[in-house]
Amino acid sequence: MSLSIYYFLSITAVNILMTWAIYLPYRVAHLHFITIANMAISGYLAGYLVMTLKFPFFWALLIGFAVGGLIGYLVSLFIGDAPTFAVVIVGFTFIYITRTVIENIPAIGGTMGMFGLPNIAKTPAGHRNLIIVILYGLVLLVGFLIYRFDNSRLGKAASAIFVDKDLATSLGVDIKKLGQLLQVFSCIVAGGTGVLYGFIYRSFHPDFFTFHLVGIYMTTMFVGGYSTLWGSLLMAPILYGLPLLFPKEIQSWRMVIYGVILILVLVLKPEGFITRRLVYNIGIRLSHKREKI
Amino acid sequence: MQNEKTATTAPEGALLKVENLSVSYGHINALKSVSIEVFLGEIVVLIGANGAGKTTLLSSILGITPSQSGTISFDGQRIDKEPVDKIVRKGVCLVPEGRGVFASMTVMDNLLLGAHHNLKNKDKYLKRVFEWFPILEQRKNQVAKTLSGGERQMLAIGRALMSEPKLILVDEPSLGLAPIVVNEIFTILQMLNKEGYTILLSEQNTFKALKVAHRGYVLETGKVTLSGTAQQLLNDPGVKAAYLGA
Amino acid sequence: MQVFIAQIINGLSLGSIYVLLATGFNLLLLVALIIHFSYPVVVVFSMYIVWVVLNATGNNLLLGILAGVLSSIILNVVSAPIFQKVMKKRGEVDINSTMVVSMGMGFIITDILSHSFNHGFPIAFPENLTGSEPLFRIGLISVQVGQVWSLAIGAIAVSAFFVLLYKTRAGRAFRAIAEDPAGARLVGIPIVKTGIQSYALSGVMGGMSAILIAMLLHSASPGLGDMLAHKVLAVSIVAGLGNLVGGLVVGLALGVIEALIQGYAAGSWSNAIAFVVMLVVILWKPKGLFGIKV
Repeated sequence: MSLSIYYFLSITAVNILMTWAIYLPYRVAHLHFITIANMAISGYLAGYLVMTLKFPFFWALLIGFAVGGLIGYLVSLFIGDAPTFAVVIVGFTFIYITRTVIENIPAIGGTMGMFGLPNIAKTPAGHRNLIIVILYGLVLLVGFLIYRFDNSRLGKAASAIFVDKDLATSLGVDIKKLGQLLQVFSCIVAGGTGVLYGFIYRSFHPDFFTFHLVGIYMTTMFVGGYSTLWGSLLMAPILYGLPLLFPKEIQSWRMVIYGVILILVLVLKPEGFITRRLVYNIGIRLSHKREKI
Repeated sequence: MQNEKTATTAPEGALLKVENLSVSYGHINALKSVSIEVFLGEIVVLIGANGAGKTTLLSSILGITPSQSGTISFDGQRIDKEPVDKIVRKGVCLVPEGRGVFASMTVMDNLLLGAHHNLKNKDKYLKRVFEWFPILEQRKNQVAKTLSGGERQMLAIGRALMSEPKLILVDEPSLGLAPIVVNEIFTILQMLNKEGYTILLSEQNTFKALKVAHRGYVLETGKVTLSGTAQQLLNDPGVKAAYLGA
Repeated sequence: MQVFIAQIINGLSLGSIYVLLATGFNLLLLVALIIHFSYPVVVVFSMYIVWVVLNATGNNLLLGILAGVLSSIILNVVSAPIFQKVMKKRGEVDINSTMVVSMGMGFIITDILSHSFNHGFPIAFPENLTGSEPLFRIGLISVQVGQVWSLAIGAIAVSAFFVLLYKTRAGRAFRAIAEDPAGARLVGIPIVKTGIQSYALSGVMGGMSAILIAMLLHSASPGLGDMLAHKVLAVSIVAGLGNLVGGLVVGLALGVIEALIQGYAAGSWSNAIAFVVMLVVILWKPKGLFGIKV
């Protein structure tokens, strides 16, 4: 596997997972950017555990998941049913605070970053293969869970909350419990993904976790379509991969391109490219075919 | 009788003419091919139960609720595609159900909002409104939410008068008011009518409304099922049974 | 004690900028019915325009200030149709989608600033705008002429805004829409036109803020917009979204708290402390200290 394909595959998987981490709470209209702070916190923690305290990688990864979930849970106690803008600002505040804290702790590299994480397999090639396997295993697992969720009673309750909070309450949906559940799950995913994100490059740097991630994940979700999990899955490789085919000068304008695409899609196709109706129609067509066979 | 009289003074036809108006919210047809006419100088009342389409009809005349088909003309001009503020400028105004005044603003602010598009004449109209409703002058610097229900209704009517209207749409003025206040409001509407204002009223208090009105329309589930002079409707056995409780 | 007084002055001048920005932000929220998250990013863009014009005209202050205010008005008004379009598509006021569109605008502006101006390095404003001599100085802490000016202008601008809001026809229409958009439409207030006026007015306030920030900070960088956007939204949420008086109180308070922390705590941690304070308040009261008015 060449290095550029490795980076493409692994970053695409990270983008899919992180977009899903944004997608899940957005089912109840929460834009939960605390996930990006979670990536940094769990990632740095795991890096420190492995580098300095010589933890095995898989233990560090598990701790990364757990710490993400724990932070998500604690925060969700307060904002499980908060209005969207409050959730957004809590996320941004966490990103800023996390960054300041990381930059001020010399033990994890401060503003210099943390370099030279060990390979998690015997050879660099083995390391890369294992990272890819773990990442896509995680994509399959998380995708399956989200699929089950979307088609469950809870998924329908989430859709009801998205459309009308008051109506959903009157139908007996516990807004706070559901909001908490989605926030915690997305924070767990983000924590683990953050650990893997660093191990892709075998380093961490404060600049990994800034606002450009907000832009990438949000654009991926809204362009792909925020009402199904398939939009993020399809759009993550396209939005990450397409700019790579262009010359370097154009690539450096990535955020301008994302911003323009995001606004255009919201104006012209407010539900994104993959809508629930589209998925439903494809589903019907597929089941027809199956019957014919 | 009123009908014939206005017909001779205004040969062009009705001040307000709604023809075959249909309005739907999603799959629900709120109005099905409704036609009504209001002539200059009349009080016309819309009678019907909750959900019969009275409020929808008034709000589509003002341009708030878009219509699927049919036409609305005012003063001989089509207004059904005009934006609300243009229609208000032309001389239609609505006194909304529930006395929709701006609760956190002062009485004076509320009145001036009514005159938003003709502020240069505001002193003339303020004087007239304060003549009609002296209580509003006393309370002009109070915040509207401190007013009683009846006073708020007066404020809503006063605000409508500030916009120099030819036609006043009044939606359920008696809703939630004490009977004595209701009588007062209806007396005011009648006096306004004598001053030359044309009034289209929607009302569930059928008896009182027909007492002050010249003509009326009965709306049932989005359709006009009956129309006639107020006296005819008061004597109609169907109206008696359904709306007058007799 | 002198440090304390100096930092109070610094904090109030910083706070008056937060107040101006939060007021413009709230105006857009109340009257245009959008969450213009990146409104402060647009303001920073105007700072760059001021810088370019000052450089091109040999530091002509009048032209620089004019360019700052005009560019801010134009950028605000030009973005109005995009927001209108997005809101119409969803059928009703949709705070989420306008916020996302605004964030998209922020990505674009920030990226343009970091590519096309001064090679992405921070820009510095000339002394004839910022003032060269500190008014007085105690150790590392000083009060600059620019700070006093920005405090004075900020106070005047905010007062003028409130006079406009409570004494004029447009202000009355603004308040009517803020209280009840449907009711305002019903009495014949042109919603779209009045909305555009609010874009223009918040543009004026943004332009003035751009000048004041330049006077106060003496410099700007591409990341400043995101930082300010975050603080302004935080101020508005802590105060209660759409609560103008609350924004006034919280904006000044944040400025003073930041200045005091800078005066007494280690530099690199000062931002984090202010953020933690905001975070605690938001977690404790997600609907704000003074209540939401939307």
